[in-house]
Amino acid sequence: MSLQAEQKNENILLELQDIHMRFGKVKALAGINLKIKKGEIHSVIGPNGAGKTVMMNCINGLYKPQQGTIFFKNKEITRLKPYERARIGMARTFQKVEVFGGMTVLDNIRLGRHTHFKSGILNGAFYFGKTAKEEIEHRTFIEENIIDLLEIEHIRHKPVGMLPYGLQKRVELGRALALEPELLILDEPLAGLNLEEVEDMARFILDVNEEKHWKVTCLLVEHDMGVVMDLSNNVFVLNFGNMIVDGTPEEVQKNPEVVKAYLGEEDLYATRK
Amino acid sequence: MSTTFLPCGIYHQEYAKEHAWWQTPFIKGKMILLLIILFFIIPFFADSYGLSLCNQISYTILGAIGVQLLIGFCGQITLGHAAFLAVGAYTSALLILEFPWPAFMLDWGLAYPVSIIVAALMAGIWSVAFGLSSARVKGFYLILTTMAAQFIIVDFIITQYVSQIGGRGQAFSIPPETIKIGPIIIDSDLKVYFMMLFFVIICTAVLANLVRSKVGRAWIAIRDNDISADVMGINVIKYKLIAFFVAGCIGGIAGSCWISNLAAISPEHFPWSWSLWLVGVILIGGVGSIHGTIFGSIFMVLVMEGLQLLVIPLADIYPKLLMDFLFIKEAAFGLAICIFMIFQPYGLSYRWQQLKNYFNLWPFSY
Repeated sequence: MSLQAEQKNENILLELQDIHMRFGKVKALAGINLKIKKGEIHSVIGPNGAGKTVMMNCINGLYKPQQGTIFFKNKEITRLKPYERARIGMARTFQKVEVFGGMTVLDNIRLGRHTHFKSGILNGAFYFGKTAKEEIEHRTFIEENIIDLLEIEHIRHKPVGMLPYGLQKRVELGRALALEPELLILDEPLAGLNLEEVEDMARFILDVNEEKHWKVTCLLVEHDMGVVMDLSNNVFVLNFGNMIVDGTPEEVQKNPEVVKAYLGEEDLYATRK
Repeated sequence: MSTTFLPCGIYHQEYAKEHAWWQTPFIKGKMILLLIILFFIIPFFADSYGLSLCNQISYTILGAIGVQLLIGFCGQITLGHAAFLAVGAYTSALLILEFPWPAFMLDWGLAYPVSIIVAALMAGIWSVAFGLSSARVKGFYLILTTMAAQFIIVDFIITQYVSQIGGRGQAFSIPPETIKIGPIIIDSDLKVYFMMLFFVIICTAVLANLVRSKVGRAWIAIRDNDISADVMGINVIKYKLIAFFVAGCIGGIAGSCWISNLAAISPEHFPWSWSLWLVGVILIGGVGSIHGTIFGSIFMVLVMEGLQLLVIPLADIYPKLLMDFLFIKEAAFGLAICIFMIFQPYGLSYRWQQLKNYFNLWPFSY
């Protein structure tokens, strides 16, 4: 029995226990519990202002929850800073794209590999053999695995600030992937994209989730119900900082409370078909 | 802003070639020509006035590189950089004058080189001390805290205390033949020129290398978006302080080089307006560009000298012009910044890049 429990525990990548987050009197999160298994796509949905982004910021370390603990790979990370969480394998994209506008696409993705670069300041200052070699190794990785996957070869030397929104979102995903994360937090990756771009992005998410090299666990926040229900293994529904239900897409769609709180009276779910 | 295109018909087949500074044979030839001009043509054909101009340009470049690093690459606006130049200059001068050097060090001429290194480290440490506030504040608030560096270091510590060391009064005069590197006594404009040129090349190369490797990318990320830099695994505070340290070090080198040219230093050599001047240099040259630092320095020094040449013949008619030349210079500085902000907001380096692209893409227009 204990062995089984341990195995079960090992299978869990991220665990939130009783997370509370208040801004003054406003309770953004009121006791959230969430378990994300390795290798799944877990979606978080909820109406506007439900606390989804706050929850992502708590997981990511940008906010410190007043109460509760967060475990990542069975280690407590509640007090770690965002850059420390990045080092242990957590990456995210933002709802409003937060790319480095002045850098080229390639530099943005290279920056995502920051934690993998080893050369220090002296080595960098004189660009000794080690730094030069390392730069080429990482460049090869980026070209073969990320730029090729995301189909952004043609813009690799363009400054990101000048690219259209859809491509910026793609670069942001590439930058997060360059970290080679175990958990990828995607905060509305499809917002503001057209149908074709949505399909591309969904394909990329499935690719990084399923391909042998990546096998990234995804935590997806999204409003596009069609995509959410098709992609995710589990869906977590949030409303006013409270969990309504956490289950498979079928369970969620059937849950009357979810339908009342979010999906609306009847068939709002079919937004894009 | 805009990317530089390779000339028509040139493609790279290895990543190493694309990471190189000088990517085509033409550029290599151009840079070698530039080095020949710098090392052989200017020093032997320029008179002492020309050389002193060159030294002034070098000094401005060394000062402005630190400012460029902080403002242009790391996004930390600083208005007190002259203080770190002062720290470097005073550390170097004090070491030469007061430190009990062993006789062999003096014989071998090691005192000055060692003092440059110590001055660089010292200025770096002071710079980090005043950069600590960048952990908490950004933008306008940081301008004020870096201005505090100027007032605390130069106006208070150096003027009130450091200048009194040895009872020399306000100015430290450096006796002849104390500034020597190895067997060479730095006593002429030509020797100062070579020394400054050496440091300008080293510092520019260091900055250019840092910008294309891990540390520099982290700086640019912090400049563009510090929250997502944090999320991507960059320890923002650490890298900001590294930026302040490197900028301070380069400032220290600039200061301690400059004493060889001055032969006497006093706090008035490092006024607050010099900090502002350095920021103006990078604004005119182009923020976030190493070329910009150099172009801006050359432009500012030459324009100010040109102004002086213009004013001297007019002095007979308007004697007040010469008397108030300092104010005219400042007015010209303000005017130049206004004109550049309106008509060329990306600075001279952007214009340079456009010019290069025009020739690289010729005969096509894009």
